[in-house]
Amino acid sequence: MEFNENQTQDAQIAEKPAPIATPELINGSHALIQSLIAEGVETIFGYPGGAIMPVYDAIYDYQEQVNHILVRHEQGAAHAAEGFARISGKVGVCLATSGPGATNLVTGIADAIIDSTPMVCIVGQVGSHLLGTDAFQETDIIGVTIPITKWNYQITNPDEIPEIIAKAFYIAKSGRPGPVLIDITKDAQQKLMSKPFLHKKCEKLLSYRPRLAPKEDQVAAAAKLINEAKKPFILVGHGVQIAGAEQELLQLIEKADIPAASTLLGLSSISVDHPNYVGWLGMHGNYGTNVLTNQCDVLIAIGMRFDDRVTGDVSRYAKQAKVVHIEIDPAEIDKIIKANAPVVGDAKKALEMLIPLLKENKHEAWRAEFKKFDAIEDEKITQPELAPTTEKIKMAEVIRTLSDKTEGQAVIVADVGQHQMMTARYYQFKKPNSFITSGGLGTMGYALPAAFGAKVGAPDREVVTIIGDGCFQMTIQELGTIAQSGLPVKIIILNNNFLGMVRQWQQLFHQKRYSFVELQNPDFITIAKGFGIDGHTCGAREDLNDSLDKMLASDKPYLLEVLVEKEENVFPMVPTGACVADIRLE
Amino acid sequence: MTAYTICVFTENTIGILNKITTIFTRRRINIDSLTVSETERKGISRFTIVIHHESREAVEKLVRQIRKVIEVLAVFGYLNEDIAYNEIAMFKIPTPIGAKPLDIETINKVHKAWVVYWHLTYVIIQKTGTEEEIFEFFDYIKPHGILEFVRSGRVAVSKSPQTLVDYLPEAEWEYYQ
Repeated sequence: MEFNENQTQDAQIAEKPAPIATPELINGSHALIQSLIAEGVETIFGYPGGAIMPVYDAIYDYQEQVNHILVRHEQGAAHAAEGFARISGKVGVCLATSGPGATNLVTGIADAIIDSTPMVCIVGQVGSHLLGTDAFQETDIIGVTIPITKWNYQITNPDEIPEIIAKAFYIAKSGRPGPVLIDITKDAQQKLMSKPFLHKKCEKLLSYRPRLAPKEDQVAAAAKLINEAKKPFILVGHGVQIAGAEQELLQLIEKADIPAASTLLGLSSISVDHPNYVGWLGMHGNYGTNVLTNQCDVLIAIGMRFDDRVTGDVSRYAKQAKVVHIEIDPAEIDKIIKANAPVVGDAKKALEMLIPLLKENKHEAWRAEFKKFDAIEDEKITQPELAPTTEKIKMAEVIRTLSDKTEGQAVIVADVGQHQMMTARYYQFKKPNSFITSGGLGTMGYALPAAFGAKVGAPDREVVTIIGDGCFQMTIQELGTIAQSGLPVKIIILNNNFLGMVRQWQQLFHQKRYSFVELQNPDFITIAKGFGIDGHTCGAREDLNDSLDKMLASDKPYLLEVLVEKEENVFPMVPTGACVADIRLE
Repeated sequence: MTAYTICVFTENTIGILNKITTIFTRRRINIDSLTVSETERKGISRFTIVIHHESREAVEKLVRQIRKVIEVLAVFGYLNEDIAYNEIAMFKIPTPIGAKPLDIETINKVHKAWVVYWHLTYVIIQKTGTEEEIFEFFDYIKPHGILEFVRSGRVAVSKSPQTLVDYLPEAEWEYYQ
């Protein structure tokens, strides 16, 4: 008897190409590459090594079809694959050897699962006869990655390769996207398949059935709450961008006239110019969005998961509000915030179903509430930061000048820390799918490789990465990858010679006991030049315009180091454990 | 602390046990007992996991996280009253010459336990029942001395009249609503 025969709810079905088949018998390595090609893979970020050498030998024959990019460290491959996936919506692919090659991917995999990024990592493994013997470069990478992958699998027989690779791509991309790791023993790479190669795309699985279209009664319940709301408030999460629901979101907020704020990863899904856009949420988000979260009557969360950086103290978060939670992952419903009207499904499908049920509405007075808070924030924080009288340059003015010069159209990749928060605050995103950063995991060193991956994924867009001096030194070696590719990735280092965010916390919460946060930095421009990348250090306000112009005009990779004020703090701030309404302005 | 029995139906693949148990580990939930066997359908395994927890909500969240494992077909969380459940225990009891003889009639008729192996110096008694019944017997037999004691862990079947195939739509309903 077949399971789930009576189920009609299907996962998203990809377009159906003819299965790719070869009549002659091929080995596992060739099967792997042909399967990747059949899945539409054009770019692989990788690093060779002993246990993956048969695959690298095969790639040599497919250089016309597959662009393999040699990174300088496997962590770089993982983050580049993430950047590529985030900007292109395709699955990022990375390739590494066993043992240290595989473990070096781990940070990137953990980053990808928490930020719902589709990625397939293929790693070599020692020969199957050596499994469990502590062989050279043997690591139980399946065991290591169980908690941080959406799925993982070890292949020991080349015959399994087409089916498993098809399954890997289907799982990585469908539902709530995430990373998949496939571990292939060296003998499975070397052995001939026992049957002709045949790659068929995976379209459904018995046990894994992500729901796309939500249930009608759930949508109706959500619509009822929204229609009755006096002070509705929309929270836009990453799910909107993943689902490509930006247009539907606009229709929703315009029809029902609802103010909308964005999470960190939701940034750029609505243009900052939109009259209903009220700002950014969370720990360093805007004043009004945080305070009014605790005054709205219906909170409509779309494709987001109420991260603790968004909610602050959960017991004092939006207690007055009814919650509509539109989310593709059923495990997120009620996980942090109880939903009065959960809607499980893809954001685009859900909004398509929801919009016709909504009444046209006006909430001008409610929207104007946000403006009052904006005025206070503007006076106390934004204006002093954008037009400072200090001698040293402030991060905010760098970001805003960049924003003006790129007209809010660039792909911005921010690393992790103060510069990331400043980027989120001051870059004025006007084009969807323009912001990439490590949100959930907060992975320092993410931005340089991710920006490179993004440039590979969107070569026609301007890609600018904003990196702190601490972060930059975590994956600095990827300058080599960028230089070798020649792709014009624009790199801005906001250098304050501090691990700024940690320093800020030590100042605010640890009585200024600056414990190991000051950095003696190398000459970044000399380093860049050593890699063959041109650069410039900007230390004076008068030079900032020209420096940015020069960087943006370059048709090659370019490093701009800006020396910024050493002890700057990011405000507003909801301190850990505080309530969102108690956001501090100083 | 309330006892919850979690039944997980999975594809029978290598490493699936690890994928399930790591979800408990991460949330610091201790597993009281765990049994795994193939179901009436080939290739489909059934996990019966017993935990104690003070928060039903936490158990519901746990169940949803288990459902996310790709190989998992369905997950159900039950209270004791929802299920018929039992386990098997085995006792190795010494029978040295001169000791007080075992009262086989009481063991059989009162405790529904059976001697399944005789040795010159000990016997092995098998007792099927709930945890409470097993520990009742444990207390009864303890004065003889217990050389070894083992429990199988709980197996449980829901009292609902539905079959596994009927359950799956229910699972969909339950976890996707």
